[in-house]
Amino acid sequence: MEEENKSSFGKFHDKNYKLLLLIPITLFVLSLIFIGIFYSNNGDFLNKDISLTGGTTITIYEEVDTNALVSELSGKLEDLSTRTIYDIVSREQKALIIETTSDGETTKKAVEDYLGHELTSENSSFEFTGSTLSESFYKQLIIAILAAFIFMAIVVFIIFRTIVPSTAVIISAFADIIMTLAVVDLLGMKLSSAGIVAFLMLIGYSVDTDILLTTRMLKRHKGSVNERLFGAFKTGTTMTLTSLLAIVFALMIISSFSFILQQIFIILAIGLFFDLLNTWITNASILKWYVEAKK
Amino acid sequence: MKLTWRIWILLIVLVLSLISIFVTPNFMKSGILISSVVSNSSAFEQGLKQGQIITGVDGIKIKTLDDFSNSISERFTSGESEKVIFQTSDGEIIYFSETAPEIIVAAIPKTKIKTGLDLSGGSRALIKAENIDLTSDQVRTLIDVISNRLNVYGISDMKILPVRDLSGNNFMSIEIAGATPSDLEELISKQGKFEAKIGNETVFVGGDKDITSVSRNPPEAIIERCDQSGDGYFCNFRFAIYLSEDAAKRHAKITGKLEVNSTPSGSYLSMPLELYLDDNLVDTLLISEGLKGRVTTQIAISGSGTGATQIEAYEAAEENMKKLQTVLITGSLPYKLEIVKLDTISPILGKDFIRSIFIAGLAALLAVSIVVFVRYRKVKASFFLVLTSISEVIIILGIASLINWNLDLPSIAGIIATIGMGIDSQIIVIDEAKHNKEISIKERMKRAMAIIMGAYFTALVALLPLLWAGAGLLKGFAITTIIGITVGVLITRPAFVDIVKKIED
Repeated sequence: MEEENKSSFGKFHDKNYKLLLLIPITLFVLSLIFIGIFYSNNGDFLNKDISLTGGTTITIYEEVDTNALVSELSGKLEDLSTRTIYDIVSREQKALIIETTSDGETTKKAVEDYLGHELTSENSSFEFTGSTLSESFYKQLIIAILAAFIFMAIVVFIIFRTIVPSTAVIISAFADIIMTLAVVDLLGMKLSSAGIVAFLMLIGYSVDTDILLTTRMLKRHKGSVNERLFGAFKTGTTMTLTSLLAIVFALMIISSFSFILQQIFIILAIGLFFDLLNTWITNASILKWYVEAKK
Repeated sequence: MKLTWRIWILLIVLVLSLISIFVTPNFMKSGILISSVVSNSSAFEQGLKQGQIITGVDGIKIKTLDDFSNSISERFTSGESEKVIFQTSDGEIIYFSETAPEIIVAAIPKTKIKTGLDLSGGSRALIKAENIDLTSDQVRTLIDVISNRLNVYGISDMKILPVRDLSGNNFMSIEIAGATPSDLEELISKQGKFEAKIGNETVFVGGDKDITSVSRNPPEAIIERCDQSGDGYFCNFRFAIYLSEDAAKRHAKITGKLEVNSTPSGSYLSMPLELYLDDNLVDTLLISEGLKGRVTTQIAISGSGTGATQIEAYEAAEENMKKLQTVLITGSLPYKLEIVKLDTISPILGKDFIRSIFIAGLAALLAVSIVVFVRYRKVKASFFLVLTSISEVIIILGIASLINWNLDLPSIAGIIATIGMGIDSQIIVIDEAKHNKEISIKERMKRAMAIIMGAYFTALVALLPLLWAGAGLLKGFAITTIIGITVGVLITRPAFVDIVKKIED
């Protein structure tokens, strides 16, 4: 029964695998258009948070009436926003995070005036980043991502030594990043430096399955093209699904606690989802096309 | 079951890692640890040192921090000198003073794992010179001056490093563990240019060229008196400094030219001594007639502090005195500085946080093992997969303790990334073992390793740029991930391959 299903799916795949490419191509083009529009509206490819634009974050470890604080301080501090940290179990407010692009001293003074007491390392955390530093920081992270991508591409070429399969791996990794970025923009997420690092992690994770697929397709000779492809598919999806599941589990526990890890996990989860699509349609179809053409 | 050499290597490295994590210099000792001592305080002078272990106070055993605070809380309240005998790892130390010892104590750490500031609390600052690009030599000079200043101020648990980023900017990075002094910003960024002037002439400046010593203990350094003013209070402080020969002669020459004015409260010279800190006038001192033209080496410096209550004013005066003493001793910084990043993280959430990371990690591993078991129906392989991942984490932590790496949030993200990649590789191993049974298991494992090595090299090169980007703030991520994946391909993966081979045979 299973064999029959497989072969009927094999027939379907043989007939339509080139057509299937239209799905990722459409998504890729839509993502590019969306990012283009986003860029022309916002002057950048993504929304940056305080760690990348410069500004101040103050975390207060006490119960504070958020609305009252915002209405009182929004005139004094620029681009004020707040986030609340709750206890996982009791859902009690554990801390309030205040973010603003105003500088450290101004923010500290305004918040101290509002609370009526001093902010010390006993009752609060304070983070200030100057705007020149964060600008250069952002630039360097983008350079790091580009460099990482180029290095990765070189290694992929060295491993496979053939143009089409190597390019297919690189295209699929690139598509992962573009599609994930589009969704991140669509959701209105403000990226921190850690969020950008998540894209770097994504390069590592997404190439894993592509290498598995390409190795099985090109360096093994037993079985038909489809058998090798479906074998790799089974292994690869197990890999990606375990990663996804692990991330979702970790996310549920960590999310109320660390904004940084939460953002990394959300971006990875989105990225891994697109990686399923790009590895098993984009990369797989290009590779099958290449192998069939070579016959 | 006979173990292969690869499995032996894993076991040996695992044991070494556990030793590296758990065998601290204070292994199995009870007591509490002195984590820092205010330098030049009476505690310091009487022999209490950072790193000592206090095992008892006046013969009563101390096991926990509570024991210690209970034993000290009722002492030193009368304002009179008291004697306390501390039993420490360096023998008995007799402490005799009016005030409680100025030390910070902590529980003896059970592991050598150090957590970064973003988890354990502390402050971190990135500093650069205003308007000029410093060379790395200039940054080093600056670091010397700042370290000295913080030491003199009484901060000992700190790390100051030069940092260079991808665009070639040089910064100075300062990290201070634990509680953050409230005026850290001033200490590290204010130039601290001290000048004592009469009219337009400079008599002396801060630093050891003009000032040979600064008194810091009573009776030569005291808070004199507190008064009410308006709705607040102010307190005056006064301390003595000693001038060098040159500075004293300069003082004599300048005062010799001045006239004497007689006022109802006494006779003073026509112009006062004005004290400037970073070009702001901090105090004006009248010079008594007797000092005219005299080569005098001892000078009294004074100032004040204000506050809403008398206690606050007293504390402010103490702080201001300490700051002024610090810049008088250490002199001014060679450059005007700008704080480009300043984080002070409260230690409050750290503990809870580490606990939730553990829970999250366990939950994730559990999820993975269930998926692997459902997918491959192999109890042993799934069990060893989880075991291998755990041992990978232990080895990363072992190496981190060995190289004294502080685990910060990015490092933890790196460990998570590593586990993820490791599990992916192990799934490839299990998968290759299960299929293509007509080829030998040895050959199948070789194939698995080929894929794993490919994935390793791509991940490795992708991480390299991060070691330099962004002034090292995300270095922790790159370091832990590189350690993790390298340990993976060199030690844990080959061992796992052998384990799977055994299971298959």
